[in-house]
Parts: sequence; structure tokens; C-alpha cells
Amino acid sequence: MNRTIAIVTLLAASAMASDLTGKWSGTFKVDGGDHTVPQLFILKQQGKTLSGSGGPNAGEQYPIENGRIDGDEARFELTAGEWKFAYDLKQTAPGALNGTLKLQSVNDSRTAKVSLASSKGD
Amino acid sequence: MIAGAFLVVLGITGGILAFEPELDRLLHPHLSRLKPGGRTLSLVDIGEAASKKYSGEPVVAYLPSSSPDVPTAVILSSGVVSVNQYTGEVLGLRSRGQTVLGFMRALHVRLATGDIGRNILRWSTILMLISLTSGLYLWWPRKRIQIRGPWWSRLFWSDQHNSFGIFSLVPLLLLTATGIVIGFEDEVSSLLDKMYDTKPVHSNQTLARSEPSQASTELTPDQAIAIASAQLPGALPYRLQMPRYGGLYVVSLTYSDNRIGAERNSISLDPRNGRIVAVNQSASLTPRERFMATNEAIHTGNILGMPTRIMAALASILLPLQVVSGLLIWVRRTNILRRG
Repeated sequence: MNRTIAIVTLLAASAMASDLTGKWSGTFKVDGGDHTVPQLFILKQQGKTLSGSGGPNAGEQYPIENGRIDGDEARFELTAGEWKFAYDLKQTAPGALNGTLKLQSVNDSRTAKVSLASSKGD
Repeated sequence: MIAGAFLVVLGITGGILAFEPELDRLLHPHLSRLKPGGRTLSLVDIGEAASKKYSGEPVVAYLPSSSPDVPTAVILSSGVVSVNQYTGEVLGLRSRGQTVLGFMRALHVRLATGDIGRNILRWSTILMLISLTSGLYLWWPRKRIQIRGPWWSRLFWSDQHNSFGIFSLVPLLLLTATGIVIGFEDEVSSLLDKMYDTKPVHSNQTLARSEPSQASTELTPDQAIAIASAQLPGALPYRLQMPRYGGLYVVSLTYSDNRIGAERNSISLDPRNGRIVAVNQSASLTPRERFMATNEAIHTGNILGMPTRIMAALASILLPLQVVSGLLIWVRRTNILRRG
């Protein structure tokens, strides 16, 4: 019985830390902001390195910088014009990334909550 | 009384933000001004100078110079680099993060917090509208515009409140009404979309992009700007987004003589052949977008340029004075009533 539980736990853990390669879509909402902003990422994971692109939609994509995977956590940045976006996400369930985003311009700094879901079938 | 404290914050920060661009330049003089002279370098040369100085970071976007004595800015991942467009000299880098002016803006729109601060402020503006209307109601029977008595007397503060209040009433009403629209933007937008039967997303926005290509970019940034400028004669390019990952050049343009949504012109170009892929023009804004842009121009004072900005700043600065004098009148009246 204990062995079965251990195997199930291990399988669940490996599923949680699965490869992030693929399309991820969702939204972020800046604290104190008006709207939720759509997000679409096309991620490529190679070991502990994350690359690819992200933006509000398929037509507006910016390259991912400094992408790192650490267990079930993913951190990456992208620069879209005046704003730099630093994501700090955690895989909370298979196919679900949640976390925070720090947005910085040369004048302002804001935080947002991010929620992404895998859409590998797309 | 508590709402009064928030209105003081709105007034002081609003007065400062009315001159945000000028104050920003004042705080960064070496990055904002240069001595014009000589031939202007190409954007490629300017971008290379900036990139070389900061570890070869690729150029994200250019902010072309808006006047001969203003440097060209190059946006890199690490910040915004000011470059002398005549010599290629890198004047410095502004790294990202909140500044004093950014903090003022954060205070003004959300009390430098999140949703709670924003909600407090937007409901404070409703209370302010009620205060202004009731103030007019109380002023109307006597129509007093004079200041009597020594500065410490109740009469002085009562007269000051009445006189300054009536002079600042119209601009304060405008600032308050437009502030309410900004605070309740989602609700107002939904209402306008229903009224005009428009979709929330810009109808003429084209999202199609070029397929990713390994080929080197053929169109230069300067050529992209030239094509976009020819498409919208009289418009000034103020931003050029670089086509990374096989994307498009996006040139943003503005009209100096139009202050309502004038900056909402953009032209997207295929970097391989210069083909125009998408055009967004301020002239084709939806009724909701035009209303919101006009509302913002009134609130910031940009609607008629410097005169209305000064007026907005003065009205904003008078707001704390009105709150304080109103409070003094209320306290003294309460004391008199208590003493019987």
C-alpha cells in the first residue's frame, strides 16, 4: 500500500514538473488596473532553459529573455517597448501556470497576477 | 473627513502630474537636451552606438527625436538609452523602476497600492462631485466673492472657501467628472459600446503578421519610418518597434496639432519588403475610444495645450486648500454649536 502511494506521488510530482514546451494562453491583471490583459506564450524548454516568445496574441510576440526552469517554477522576462515584464510562475497543476508578474518602465513599477493554461492541442 | 485626505492627495499629485513631461526632463537634463548641430545619423548607427555601450543588447525600439535639441532614445532590455543623434555619443541610460514622478502617478491613480487604493480614490471622486455641487448650492444665495477678516478668523476661511471655490468650480467639476470616467472606465466603456453598438476591440486592427523568417532584415529602421511617414503625411513618427522573431516593424505616429488620441496612429510593415500590413489611425477611432481619449485630454489638461494644463494644475492645487478651509469652517462651526 505504502509503495503504491509512493509511486502515485512520484508520478504526480513528475507530471507537475512536466515539459513546458508548447502554447500557453491566459491573462494577467495589474493590481489596481482596469482590465485583464490576454497573454499567449510559445515556450520551448531545453533542460532548465526556457526560450520562445510571448505577448498579448499570436500577432504580437516578443522574445523571451533569461528563461529558467527550477523544479515546478518558471522565471522569464520579455521586453515590449517601454515595459519590461518579469514573470515568476509556478506549475500548480498539469497544464496550469500561475504566479506573479512585475512590470517596469523607466518611471513606473507594477505587479500583476498571471494565470496561464496549456493549449498543446492548438 | 477621510475622503478629504484622499482628495488632498489627488489635488497635490494632480498638480504635479500636469507638468510631468517638463519635470521629467528637469530631473534628467543630461538625457533630455543636447546642442543641435551637424548631420543626423541613421537610426541603425544610433542603435549600434547604444547597443555597443550596453553589452551588445539588441534594440527593442527607437524613440526618434521630437525636436533638434532632444536626443534620440533607444530602448534596450536594460533600459532606455539617450543618444546624441548628431555625434552618436551615448548620453546615458535610464534603467527601469519607479521614480518620484512614477510614485506620484501611482498615488494619483491608486494611492500607490492596488485595487483597494484605486477603489478608495474612485469613490472619493464621487464624494467630491457631491461636495462641489453642494458647495455651489450653499454659495448661490449670497454669491460672495470677497475675503474679509484676519487669516486666523472663521470669516477669513469662510470667505476664502467661497471665493476660491467659485473660481475653481468649473475646472474642478471638469477634473472630477473626467476623473470619475477614468475611475469607472470599464463601466463607462461598456455603456458606450452598448450605446453605439461597437465592439470593445478596435475594428480595423489587423493582427496578421509575417511568418518567422531566418533571413536577415532587409528594410532598415529609417526606411520603415520613411514609408510610414509617407502613408500619413503631416504625422510625426515618435516610436519604432523592431521586428524581432520575424515580426513586423510598428511605427507609431502623432499629429502635433491634434491632442485627442493623436498618438494612436500606427503602421505595421513587413520588414522584408516594406509592405504595409496594418494601419491604425486616430481618425478611425470608435466612438468609445474617441470619448475616452477626449476625456483623458480634458483630465490631463492637454486638450488645448499649455493654457489648459496650467488651468488643470491650478485647480488641482486649489483642491487641498478648499479641503483644508472646508474642514476649518466645519470644526469651528461644530465648536460654536457645542458651546451653545
